[in-house]
Amino acid sequence: MYLLIFLSRRLLQGAAVLLIVTFAIFTLLRVVPGDPARLIVGGMAPDEVVEQKAEELGLNDPIPVQFIKYLGEIAQGDLGNSFVRARSGSMGGAVAFDDPSRGDRAEVLDLIIERVPLTLQLAGLAVLFSLIISFPLGVAAGLNPGAWQDKLAFFAGSIFVSVPNFWLGIVLALLFSVHLGILPSIGYKGFEYTILPAFVLAIEMSPFIIRTLSVSIAQIMQEEFISVAPLRGLMRSRIVGAHAIRNASIPLLNLFGIQLGSLLGGVLVIEFIFDYPGLGRLTINAVLQRDFPLIQGIAIFISAMFVFINIAVDLAASFIDPRLEY
Amino acid sequence: MSGDKAILQVQGLSVGLRNDPSARILDNVSFELGAGKVLGVIGEAGSGKTVLARAIVRGLTEPLTYEAGQVFYGGDDISSLSPKRLADIRGNKIGYIGSNPAGALDPTLPVGEQIVEKLLSVSSGLSRSAAKKRVLEVLFAVRIPSAEVRFHEYPFQFSGGMMQRVMIVDALVTNPSVLIADNITQALDVTVAAQIIRLIQELRDKFSTAILFISSSLPVVETIADEVLVLQQGKIIEQATPSILINAPQHDYTMSLLARLPRIWGADISGPEASDAPTLMAIEDVHRTYMVRKKGTFRGMNAVQAVRGVTLDIREGENIGIVGESGCGKSTLTRLLAWLETPEQGTIRFAGEDLSRLSRQELTKLRQSFQLLLQDPYSSLPSRMAVGRIIAEPLLIHGSFKKREIRDRVLQAMDEVGLDRALENQLTVGLSAGQRQRINIARALVLEPRLLILDETLSALDQVEQSKLFELFDKLQQKHGFTYIFISHDMALVRKVCHRVAVMYLGRIVELADNNALFEDPVHPYSKALLSAVPTLDDHPFKAQEYLLEGEPPSPVDIPTGCSFRSRCPVALAKCETNDPDARVLVGGGQVSCHLVDENQPAPNYQIAAAV
Amino acid sequence: MSDTATKNQAPGQAASAASMLTPTQRMLREAWSKPSFKFGFFTFTVLLLGALLYPEISSIDPTKMNIKARHTPPLLIGDWSWAHPLGTDHLGRDLLVRCLVGLRYSVLIGCATVVMMFIVGCGLGLLSGFKGKYTDTIIMRITDAQLSIPMIILAIAILGVSRPTVPAIILVLGLSGWPLYARVARSVTLSEKSKEYIKGQRVLGASDWRIIFLFVAPAVLPPIAFVAVLDVARMMIFESILGFLGLGVQPPTPTFGNIIADGRKYLLNAWWIATMPGLFLLFTLTSLNLMGSALEGARNNVLRGTV
Repeated sequence: MYLLIFLSRRLLQGAAVLLIVTFAIFTLLRVVPGDPARLIVGGMAPDEVVEQKAEELGLNDPIPVQFIKYLGEIAQGDLGNSFVRARSGSMGGAVAFDDPSRGDRAEVLDLIIERVPLTLQLAGLAVLFSLIISFPLGVAAGLNPGAWQDKLAFFAGSIFVSVPNFWLGIVLALLFSVHLGILPSIGYKGFEYTILPAFVLAIEMSPFIIRTLSVSIAQIMQEEFISVAPLRGLMRSRIVGAHAIRNASIPLLNLFGIQLGSLLGGVLVIEFIFDYPGLGRLTINAVLQRDFPLIQGIAIFISAMFVFINIAVDLAASFIDPRLEY
Repeated sequence: MSGDKAILQVQGLSVGLRNDPSARILDNVSFELGAGKVLGVIGEAGSGKTVLARAIVRGLTEPLTYEAGQVFYGGDDISSLSPKRLADIRGNKIGYIGSNPAGALDPTLPVGEQIVEKLLSVSSGLSRSAAKKRVLEVLFAVRIPSAEVRFHEYPFQFSGGMMQRVMIVDALVTNPSVLIADNITQALDVTVAAQIIRLIQELRDKFSTAILFISSSLPVVETIADEVLVLQQGKIIEQATPSILINAPQHDYTMSLLARLPRIWGADISGPEASDAPTLMAIEDVHRTYMVRKKGTFRGMNAVQAVRGVTLDIREGENIGIVGESGCGKSTLTRLLAWLETPEQGTIRFAGEDLSRLSRQELTKLRQSFQLLLQDPYSSLPSRMAVGRIIAEPLLIHGSFKKREIRDRVLQAMDEVGLDRALENQLTVGLSAGQRQRINIARALVLEPRLLILDETLSALDQVEQSKLFELFDKLQQKHGFTYIFISHDMALVRKVCHRVAVMYLGRIVELADNNALFEDPVHPYSKALLSAVPTLDDHPFKAQEYLLEGEPPSPVDIPTGCSFRSRCPVALAKCETNDPDARVLVGGGQVSCHLVDENQPAPNYQIAAAV
Repeated sequence: MSDTATKNQAPGQAASAASMLTPTQRMLREAWSKPSFKFGFFTFTVLLLGALLYPEISSIDPTKMNIKARHTPPLLIGDWSWAHPLGTDHLGRDLLVRCLVGLRYSVLIGCATVVMMFIVGCGLGLLSGFKGKYTDTIIMRITDAQLSIPMIILAIAILGVSRPTVPAIILVLGLSGWPLYARVARSVTLSEKSKEYIKGQRVLGASDWRIIFLFVAPAVLPPIAFVAVLDVARMMIFESILGFLGLGVQPPTPTFGNIIADGRKYLLNAWWIATMPGLFLLFTLTSLNLMGSALEGARNNVLRGTV
């Protein structure tokens, strides 16, 4: 019951957020230069055709009217059709304006859903890697403030956070694929293609995790209930393992919620570099081709994901610490 | 103490600081704790009490270090045990209770589970269900209401007093032979503290545990200990039974400790006499309710009735005290009086002006005349401003004074409260609590107010500094004719300075009386209960055994029908359940809200023991 | 009474000079005492001076091609020659000078962006935290919305469909990065607002704006500002990412992003074109991050009262 109330509250809030996002991105794409009708029919089409297309798509209506229409379509689960991608999957950009296949555009929603599993696989593996890297560093630093473990974590964090992700991707690809030939790096033909990009992402994320862990563990170790615990008869391993880390996991969860945006941004760039066929590469290509419906669809999809994951994060946090109200 | 059955022996224990080899936090401390005995340790803040408590169980943390000495528990030297043997004793044979129950357990886990965790980790071969059974048993023993339910609740759902009971369970669940109680009543309200002391006394018999009872309050130690150690700057300077220590102290320090204890009752003790004077501030039937979101509902709200119909006249030039336990609505009333918040019902008039009818400008102007002095001298001053500027701030807010004039008035105020003029351009960092409180006073003073509201203003200061500020308040009152409202939980302080006292319970004033009338002949059962909880060495007219209440005040969300005190009242009548008593004026001029009081006859005397 | 006051005051004065400093000064002093801060500070200063001066005083033009010198390997790898310490690219352009010029743009964009994020974010955050109620709800919902679209996606989307110029890049990055500042400013404003001394100021009759400008903002903003150093580094990475994707400052102006993107095509026969500028950037950012982290640590210590 409580859960239901919490979910409905948060979903309503999330809906408000999504509405703002949709409106913002919709308006933005209509005020920037670039004529969508021209894009659809292709550069070679005569002006009348462009005009006709614009009329047909309602592009001549005022923006609020277009927006309401768009919302109506979204409400029915329709994110529109791509301007340039054909249903068959081939790019339509070069096709002549009177080619019949122009009418047969891919659905934005299908395009997105098709890519999601690979992106999730990449993000999941990256989170796993970054936890493996960060946990030992961060916990050791938090337990020994001022000691070498702390300094090590500090320097590792400072260097990791300074690495440009696209550069690291290139260097690792050069090293592992070209010189050593251990791991593949371009495209996707199997799970092993996920490893290198995930590792690059993990390096990008780990400084934040290391920091949060070391700071919150150090703080929690100062808490009364930790300092009294040995007097109550608890062993150190239990104090750290069952209590300190448990309490430190809440800031970690919150970090995850907030940094999710950066994680997705990182995914985008990494997918582009490794030519990994996920949501990120789709986005960049959509932008480069000015495929407005697709850009809009992806933005809305991502912010919806953001909203959902943040609800899940808060829910998880409140299960760990019941003081946090859900 | 008989040496034959000593269960814990401390020999020449010295504790120092890692980076300061000459420092001695504990200096050659030796004593013995007999089986089943209660050994009290008394010492002021900074005397090394807590260090002693922790040093005994090898619980020192950086930068504290052991310098010398041994602690023997049943023949084993605790200071040289292997971690495995230590684990067998610490938390198992020797229980520990700290002063801060609110922070003593992991906030993210249910309390019952944590006690079970502790029990399982110190006792081998116990099954989880057996452990749980044992924990519940002890939870019942400390009289935690509906223990099975509370077993699954989290620390934040417990009040301070209940949480301290939980910690007592945590310590006693292994049936230890020694219990170290480190200032366990410090963070609690007087009534709750008194309940805890009473509980410890009972449990002592039930569990036959020897207790090292450490406290900063001599009256508290006196009620419970068989023998008392006096700790000063890490040294034990005197050891005696409580009665000898009190009646024939040997050491100068002990004597000064005794002399500094505030007196509340006695043939030679009486409070300031009230006198009639015109009303300065008239508070009439003010109410304040907070709407708090109800957890786990969509838009549900809880109405927290913090202040429910307070009526009170503040007389010009008097000191009036407002007392009560935490949660009784004192702080809310303070905010209303200072007009930081407005009452949703009722009026507050200052010098005849209804504050709610004033325009913003008029209010800002009138504000100069009633000022609030805040409780914490550290957080109540802005840290980035020079002292002179802080004091000038009200003048800058309230009108266009010339620079010269401002400075003159600031310096004059600094002189008046006894602040060195040299402090004018310094920041407040590094100033003592007393000096900071003086800055607060000077800041209020430059506006030439008529009424000062003191919200626990003196409770953060030590006795010496407190008396100095009293002198200052007195001087200012003589000179400027100030009126003071003391909001306080400290009955001794109120006894010493207030002409009249109002007792609050659940957002109401249940009794208002002159100082002597209240302290010597209180009428409301709650007033008696409150007084019975005050720790003192004086001949206490209200023995805790007779008047102290069990339990805690109900939540201000769920106020009982009829008389709000009836749920705890030992002498409640049938009509208390339905009728809310009005305030009645007594013969002596006091007012009380209680059905037991008839207009024409004084309240019947009673004793709880007889009534129950 | 007055002589006891002077007596009491003695320890106040005797307390080390450090206690007389404002929190900001104590923070800087604490940061300066750390070697990592000094190292970062000096390294970054040298690099910055190099970026400002070296391309001017050296005769090498960052955009001038020199086919004869193409694919010159960096120092230590190829010939022992100081002519091109980081080597040259496929057109024979000196990589060091190109990196230094790239650094100018990178730092310019990084700093301007952070200033913008700071002003917009902290302004809204202060307002939101102090005013509360509907103002707070509206600002926080907008913040959430902004936060839910990854910054880089927004930047790519806008720059991809419009023309990437320096002001456009600053505007886009700045506008997409403010929410975190708004959140932090709001939460510290909330905690500052609930402090006793603010209540004291209210009792004295101070108005909202007086409290915001005289007390809340000076207490809240400096700590955020110092930690913004870390964000300059973050923004510099974003700038290089945009450059790499072809959405940053356009060639022939060299930026870390477009140099690396160019070099990627020659990875097999001239690996240094892509890797050396990256190392250079990594080195610069590390110095900046060491500085920023030291400041952050110092701030936490000061706030916790351990300094």
